[in-house]
Amino acid sequence: MTKTTNGIEVEGTVIECLRNANFKVELPNGHVVLAHISGKVRKNHIKILPHDRVLVELSPYDLTRGRIRYRYRS
Amino acid sequence: MNASHSPSSQQSPQSLHGSPGTDDPAVVVTRISDTSWQAVQDDRVVGSGDASRRPDGRLFVSADAWHGPVFDRLVAAMAADLPEPLHTVTDETDHDTTAAWQRAGFTTVRREWGYLLPTDPQATGLGPVRPPAGVTIVPAGEAEEGPLRALDRVIHAEVEAGIGWPAMPAQVLPCPAGTTVLDPARYAVARRGDHYVGLLRVAPVRRPRIGLLAVRADHQRLGIARALLAHALESMHRGGTTTAWADVAESNTAATALVEGIGARRAGATLELVRH
Repeated sequence: MTKTTNGIEVEGTVIECLRNANFKVELPNGHVVLAHISGKVRKNHIKILPHDRVLVELSPYDLTRGRIRYRYRS
Repeated sequence: MNASHSPSSQQSPQSLHGSPGTDDPAVVVTRISDTSWQAVQDDRVVGSGDASRRPDGRLFVSADAWHGPVFDRLVAAMAADLPEPLHTVTDETDHDTTAAWQRAGFTTVRREWGYLLPTDPQATGLGPVRPPAGVTIVPAGEAEEGPLRALDRVIHAEVEAGIGWPAMPAQVLPCPAGTTVLDPARYAVARRGDHYVGLLRVAPVRRPRIGLLAVRADHQRLGIARALLAHALESMHRGGTTTAWADVAESNTAATALVEGIGARRAGATLELVRH
């Protein structure tokens, strides 16, 4: 019954921190998505800042929105 | 995750949670491991949940879903599988997520402010601050590991005997005796005679974060914490860093007064919610 997350995951760069814990993330193709922090990232108190490289899961319902699942160290 | 840290459960992994009586009968929530849950709809993962136990024993959960009803189903399934109390954290400005947890019976029990601290002595006013007589500040990287470890043990014991870990900022995690990893490169310490009496740890992230600032109980109210902070911020300023981050529990009035007194501004807040 275990399934892998079959949403679209893509790396991006945080370009702006917005209110309501949302972020603008620029994808390699130049598109900018509005992303929020995943619960697991929040639970681990990981801070997201502009210029951070992050892994974003795009919403299958709205490809302009996403969820930050991981922040890369460098 | 080792066995001692695994959330205890009343159901085995792979337990299923159907959706009778809900708006969306196609969603099935499955516990796929001791610590993970998935919500699946039409063969697609539409939500996931996670649980982890902190060293102080508290069980924290998180959940993600694209739609509120799926989130609610996911959290209900996790709550049914796990022993209470359950804890979670949200950003105070994320009203939707906070409301979703509240729908599931969680209530806010504490707030942690995130502060941006200036490092410029002219902005902080800490330039003239010196440690009290008889106390010297040992810069990061120069502390001896033995006395540092001894101080760390004393401070951990004082926290456990006093306010307890649940009241401490999330970054200040208790560790079992003997397992605490201390990297002297991250610690500036205050020394009196042959003993270390206070410490300040800076996390090496892109924006430096003051992870722990603590002084032994019998050396508090002497200005040692302020001197450690002055030293650390000035070092960052010399290194070209303009701001540092610190999380402070709202209930810790001494700490909030210290950081706000040097011009730190609140840049966010984390809420901790509990379901009993």
